[in-house]
Order: sequence, then structure tokens, then C-alpha cells
Amino acid sequence: MILVEVIGVEPPCARCAATQKNALQAAEMLMKDGVEIDVKKLNIASKDVISKYGVIFSPALAVNNQVRVAGRIPNPDEIVKIIKGTIAAGDKKI
Amino acid sequence: MAYTLAPTMKSASFRDMPLWYVPIAYIWDYMSHGWICLLFAFVAAGIVYEFIPKDIITKYMGSNKATGYALAAGVAPFFTVCSCTMIPLFSGILYAGAGIGPAIAFLLMAPAANILTILLTGEIISWQIAIVRIFTSLIIAIVAGFVIANTSWGKCIENQYKVNNARQMSIALVKVPLDERLTNGFKFSWYLAKQILPFFFIGLIIVGYVMRFLPEDIVGNYLTGFRGILIASVIGGPLYTPTLVEIILGKGLLDLGMSRAALLSWLMGQPYDIPNMMAASKIIRWKSVLTYALIAWMGSVIFGTLYGIVIGGL
Repeated sequence: MILVEVIGVEPPCARCAATQKNALQAAEMLMKDGVEIDVKKLNIASKDVISKYGVIFSPALAVNNQVRVAGRIPNPDEIVKIIKGTIAAGDKKI
Repeated sequence: MAYTLAPTMKSASFRDMPLWYVPIAYIWDYMSHGWICLLFAFVAAGIVYEFIPKDIITKYMGSNKATGYALAAGVAPFFTVCSCTMIPLFSGILYAGAGIGPAIAFLLMAPAANILTILLTGEIISWQIAIVRIFTSLIIAIVAGFVIANTSWGKCIENQYKVNNARQMSIALVKVPLDERLTNGFKFSWYLAKQILPFFFIGLIIVGYVMRFLPEDIVGNYLTGFRGILIASVIGGPLYTPTLVEIILGKGLLDLGMSRAALLSWLMGQPYDIPNMMAASKIIRWKSVLTYALIAWMGSVIFGTLYGIVIGGL
């Protein structure tokens, strides 16, 4: 199970919305290959999110609790690549 | 006449025009001269935002108050007035340990002295005013931040929002090749342009009519001298002038006879305009917002007056 979190302002600005759309698209592509993915939207200005990630550039994208992209919109292919990388790194540890 | 980047038409040129033609003539005049500086400003804003070392700033964010102030003042100029970039930084500074002082300093500094506004102020009005604007904004921003951080209500908010044990999770940003970063920068420029230009054009239309209808003697009477500074600082704030429009409107009023000192006060009214205050009040409550608005207003009057004295004429 891969947790993908899109971190942006609330209400979503256009850039955050685009990032979320791309993340969902990437999740869809990977789900076809049988990867389980949960995409969530977090509010960058909330206390919990700041204390957890400390990101100050939106939109940001975290995969399995690690911030990978900040301050730009990643395209779906790139998100797929990031998630695959995370899976590969996880396999090595096991 | 030498080529200029600013609109060249004087208010007299508008007096004989049919009403429907005024905005067209003004926008045409503005764009035929100003497109290159608008283009440059947007491109610069996009590229700079892309190439700012985000992971380093994030790491040093919450370390201590001095770093907080330095970051707020040093980083704010590189952020454009887009809620996408402003709100996260504001709340980040507030929560992550630096506290309310630097957060307020950033909030006041960002709309007043970011790349877009400074470039446009310099190109359209004058570089002297643009540079004075940076320094005065910096001083006011830090003073306001410092004062609010020491009031009881400011401290109350700070304690309420303080994140205990703000542990930074691992940040491992994906490396992006240079060409893609440039493309990203341009994309962001385009995004900013799409966000800002509609307001900008509405502003130009309004300024066109102001130039057409506002008699020069009213401007000459009321927007000069110390009274001019007071009036300019009051209408420059609460009167909502969308981003960047205050620069063109200021230029228009200057041509109609407003003094340069009053123009500086007018430009400095930006941080306490009503939409900005509303957005901030959601996070830091009205008491702090009103405090910073008051300090910013006093600052704009004081520095307007000083500037008037220095350049030798209110």
C-alpha cells in the first residue's frame, strides 16, 4: 500500500488542483498493474501538516511520508516514476 | 521624445475621446510600451521561483527568530502575490518555530516588495521610488512584526499555534534536469500571468476613465503636500487596488499632478488593503491584523513625509 499525499492550500488553488489531478491519474495507471495506492489531499496551512512535513512551497507531493516534490506541478508520468522508485527502494530493504 | 516603457498619453489626450474609446486607447498605449516590461517581470518571477533552493529554505525555516526575520525579509521579494506561494510560507513561518513576528514581516513584505511589483514600479514610475519602496517596506515589515510579537494578543496566537517538537520529516526532492526546470519556470510565469492579467486589464480600463474624468486641479489640490500624503495613504489601503494596478493608477495620478511623496505613501498602502487583511485575519485574528494595518499606515505616512522632505518638496 502506497500513500500519496498532495499538499496544497485550502481552498485549492489551480496549481494544487492540477497536482491532485495528476496524482489521481498516476494512481489509476499504477492500479492497473495491481499496486494499491491511496491519494489524499492535505491542507498545507494546517498545524498537523506543518508539524509533520514542514513544507512551505505548494503544491507539494509526499509519497509514503517523504516529501518528493515541492513548489511545482509534477506530471502523471513523473509521479508514476516516483512511486515505482519508492516501491523498489522498499523491496531492497526487505 | 525618447522611447519609454511607460504609457505616454496625458489626461488631456483623453478629454476629447468618445467614452467607449477611452479604455481601448489607454490599454493600447499601455501595452505598446509596457508589454516588454510586463513580459520580463512575469518571466523573471517564474524563473526565480523555480530556482530558489527550496529544500535549504525549508530546512532553516523553523530554527530561530533571527533566521525567521532574515528569511522573511530576504525571501519575500522572490515570492509573487499568489496565494499558492504566500499562504504556505506565512503559515510555515508562523507554525514552524520562528513565530508570529517573522510571519507578519513576511506578510507585509511580500506584496510590497516582490519582483513583479518592484520591476513594474521601476519601469513604469521610477527606479528611485522602487528602491525607496523596498527599504521602507523592509523597515515597516520588521517593526510591525517585532511589535506584534511583543503584544499580549500576538503572544497568545503564537503559543496557540506553536508546533511542539516540530520535527521535520525527511525531504528528498526529486532532481529535475535543467531544461525541465526552465520549462517549469516558464509555465509558472504563464500561470501567474493568467492569474494577474485579467485584474490588470480591468484596472487599466478604470485608470483610463480616471484619467478622462478626474480634473487635474482636484488632484493638484488634494494630492500634494502633507494632506496629499495623508489622503493617498488612506485611499491607497482600504480602497482595493488589485495587485499591480496601484502602480498604473499611481502613474496616472502622478501625471495628473500628485506629488511624488504622496505617490510613495499611495504605493505603500498595498499591504493593508482589505482582501489581504481578510485572508490574514483567518489565521492570526483581527486584533493582530488591525495592529499591523495601523503600523503600516503610520509607516506609509512617516516615510512619505520623509521622502518628500529629502527630495525637496512635499
